Amino acid sequence: MKNQIYFKVLLSLLALTILAAFVAKFGFDLKATAAIILALFMVKFLGVAYYFMQLKKAHFFWKSAVLIFVSIFLAIVFVSV
Amino acid sequence: MWIILFLELLTFGMALVAMVIYSKDEPEVFHSSRLLLNSTFGLVNTIFLLTSGFFMVKSVESFKVNNIKKSSLYLKLTMLGGFLFLLLKSFEYFEKIEAGLSIGYNTFFSFYWMLTLFHVIHVLVGLVILSSVYFSLNKKNMDLAVEDFEASATFWHMCDLIWLLLFPIIYLIF
Repeated sequence: MKNQIYFKVLLSLLALTILAAFVAKFGFDLKATAAIILALFMVKFLGVAYYFMQLKKAHFFWKSAVLIFVSIFLAIVFVSV
Repeated sequence: MWIILFLELLTFGMALVAMVIYSKDEPEVFHSSRLLLNSTFGLVNTIFLLTSGFFMVKSVESFKVNNIKKSSLYLKLTMLGGFLFLLLKSFEYFEKIEAGLSIGYNTFFSFYWMLTLFHVIHVLVGLVILSSVYFSLNKKNMDLAVEDFEASATFWHMCDLIWLLLFPIIYLIF
């Protein structure tokens, strides 16, 4: 069961990566393209951190710290692009 | 380990934010420079690292149920992913140097070289750590603690996370 979850997570991460590259290649509006790519990035980042890195088993402080970090990072990048 | 991970993410995060802020001054330079990068290389490297991360999880899992043979095999596959990443990155660097796109070419390429080289150093360190785990795993009197194995795995996943930060910003956004 657990094996299947990790495999499904991997497949989802690969699909999201390919989708992000596809959006970057064919997206026409810079701001909208950036928003989609950054949203896909956030899902991938949290997928790796929570499932592969086992962040979900870490202390609440570290879970929140990583979540806050990625949210602030995305907000700054999105506003600046 | 979480402190190291967090500090690393913060360091790369701040450098990427600086890159995005600098891009506001020279948007055309950043856009045309980004188009000089081969995003397919970036995509394939992301696939290598994500798949490698998956095998790392499987290796730790097998180790926890005392299946050393399987754990060792998965660890080899993890390291293979890392080596393939480095191989493709070397090819990409060679291409850039051949085209004269070195660190001093413009602001975009200064960031590109600094950030990706710093990441490559992390991958190299990760491979050294994983090799040491692999040799410990295959010793006759194996005395590797689960905590050490997990810490090494966390470092490897961190390389993965850092690349996930770099890939969209450097290869896709500008």
